[in-house]
Amino acid sequence: MNYPDESTYGNKADIISTVEFNHTGELLATGDKGGRVVIFQREQESKNQVHRRGEYNVYSTFQSHEPEFDYLKSLEIEEKINKIRWLPQQNAAYFLLSTNDKTVKLWKVSERDKRPEGYNLKDEEGRLRDPATITTLRVPVLRPMDLMVEATPRRVFANAHTYHINSISVNSDYETYMSADDLRINLWNFEITNQSFNIVDIKPANMEELTEVITAAEFHPHHCNTFVYSSSKGTIRLCDMRASALCDRHTKFFEEPEDPSNRSFFSEIISSISDVKFSHSGRYIMTRDYLTVKVWDLNMENRPIETYQVHDYLRSKLCSLYENDCIFDKFECVWNGSDSVIMTGSYNNFFRMFDRNTKRDVTLEASRENSKPRAILKPRKVCVGGKRRKDEISVDSLDFSKKILHTAWHPSENIIAVAATNNLYIFQDKVN
Amino acid sequence: MEVQKEAQRIMTLSVWKMYHSRMQRGGLRLHRSLQLSLVMRSARELYLSAKVEAHEPEVSLQPARSPDPRLHPPREAEAEAEAAPLDGEQPSPEPMDTQEAPRAEEAPARGAPRPAKVSRKRRSSSLSDGGDVGLVPSKKARLEEEEEKEGASSEVPDRLQPSPAQAEGAFPNLARVLQRRFSGLLNCNPAAPPTAPPACEAKPACRPADSMLNVLVRTVVAF
Repeated sequence: MNYPDESTYGNKADIISTVEFNHTGELLATGDKGGRVVIFQREQESKNQVHRRGEYNVYSTFQSHEPEFDYLKSLEIEEKINKIRWLPQQNAAYFLLSTNDKTVKLWKVSERDKRPEGYNLKDEEGRLRDPATITTLRVPVLRPMDLMVEATPRRVFANAHTYHINSISVNSDYETYMSADDLRINLWNFEITNQSFNIVDIKPANMEELTEVITAAEFHPHHCNTFVYSSSKGTIRLCDMRASALCDRHTKFFEEPEDPSNRSFFSEIISSISDVKFSHSGRYIMTRDYLTVKVWDLNMENRPIETYQVHDYLRSKLCSLYENDCIFDKFECVWNGSDSVIMTGSYNNFFRMFDRNTKRDVTLEASRENSKPRAILKPRKVCVGGKRRKDEISVDSLDFSKKILHTAWHPSENIIAVAATNNLYIFQDKVN
Repeated sequence: MEVQKEAQRIMTLSVWKMYHSRMQRGGLRLHRSLQLSLVMRSARELYLSAKVEAHEPEVSLQPARSPDPRLHPPREAEAEAEAAPLDGEQPSPEPMDTQEAPRAEEAPARGAPRPAKVSRKRRSSSLSDGGDVGLVPSKKARLEEEEEKEGASSEVPDRLQPSPAQAEGAFPNLARVLQRRFSGLLNCNPAAPPTAPPACEAKPACRPADSMLNVLVRTVVAF
């Protein structure tokens, strides 16, 4: 397994709520509870600074969403950024989608390193000149200036969701994207903000008959007609938009029969899927529920091909976790670039990696106390039995307030970003 | 008994969480509400199956009676106050519960006949004892009978997971109280003013809502 290096960027004022690399891995975006987006850029590796092998520095910070108030429903709309998704780069500027509970925004992040100077009608400070003093004519020229990165909202996609948005996903056609809330999924065209197509609607005619909600949704990485969405009942539906305009009838339905020996009081809620991700190849999907990560083959609907226990020692603690609300935590999961390793978070600032080929797994911790820059991360172990070894931590000592819900993996290299509450950790694989 | 206590505790906890989720910034979360209602239902089923097994007498209902006057004013005031923050779309967990009471009534085939008999027997005895008067006021009795008749004649849709008939048999009162509480809120008292900034309504809503919680907690404890 990797023994990564580490750089930490900490002390964000607010809790990080989403982390996402762009398609090249050059940029890393984080969103937080305060509605802000912070973008990090990887330093170009230079011969002079061999040690600083591409560290990430802050590139741009902007306020994406503000708190709003829905007067009709007497509800406050949180500014927390639920998801960020990058668009593939098509010109010098970068584009990303960021969303809170109700509104999706398309942001353009661009650099400005030149500015026009030598205006005729304005002086250098921008004040209008007295026309009587202008005796000559000149053409303004562009002169270099300190690099400025500006973020501007290019589109605002609002008023399309009654319920809380949990996912956004950019289509491989790069022209459309979808946004999903608890009961509906809408398809948008990037150019059109005043309307969207509803492609999934699971709202029952009688709300009293509601039994499940949509928890996550994603487009297939290559087939622009295909997407999946997961539910609170632990099922995944794959839909083909060519079949009909309203994709209420799924093309494939993935569900694993429940293991009766695992049936417990809280079985229903721990089977709720909190995240679903296509593999880069598009052949597999990965789902995260409260205790496990599962890999499914798109060609096999009746059970996953792999199941990984993230923190099975919590199975006997579900009642306490219900009391402290931890049982409702929504963990995300990610693939590495080659789809050979999957990663997800846990408690006590632990995160877990599973190698699908070797079947080995490792538990690592994102914490300042245990890591210094360029230190090697030591694998951690949770003691489940009676005897606790020296380095192990017992289940009862786990800190459930330190949870890693959001992680990201560089698209091609072994660089990972781990959000631990309000700190962001970036780990890089050791060279050689 | 342990199981029953635990189930009670979880039900109380769930109700508390449901109540508090309304106060959360960002509004009621549908998924969370659904999950809470699932836990409540599981707790209820567990409680009832434990109770049936233990053959407990209905004496446990006695200490928990609530006097009538407490119910009516808080219910009305609270219904108005709570209708305000709810929007028309908010499904909340309560529909799950409201659906189950009549549904369980509709499915006599599922459960043993004994619990059904127990329910009829208990209802009459409790009404005569006045033990449940606080929870089932006399003017509502006719409505309950009507509901039962309606329920019995209609088919049981397969949507929800089957709940055992004994759930209804031994458990009419909590279900009905919850049903009354939340149906009233959901059916959206048209007279209630729909909008009020949360800052303003926090104060007037506090007191009746607290009473509601007290009643609910008392109701849950009653079993």
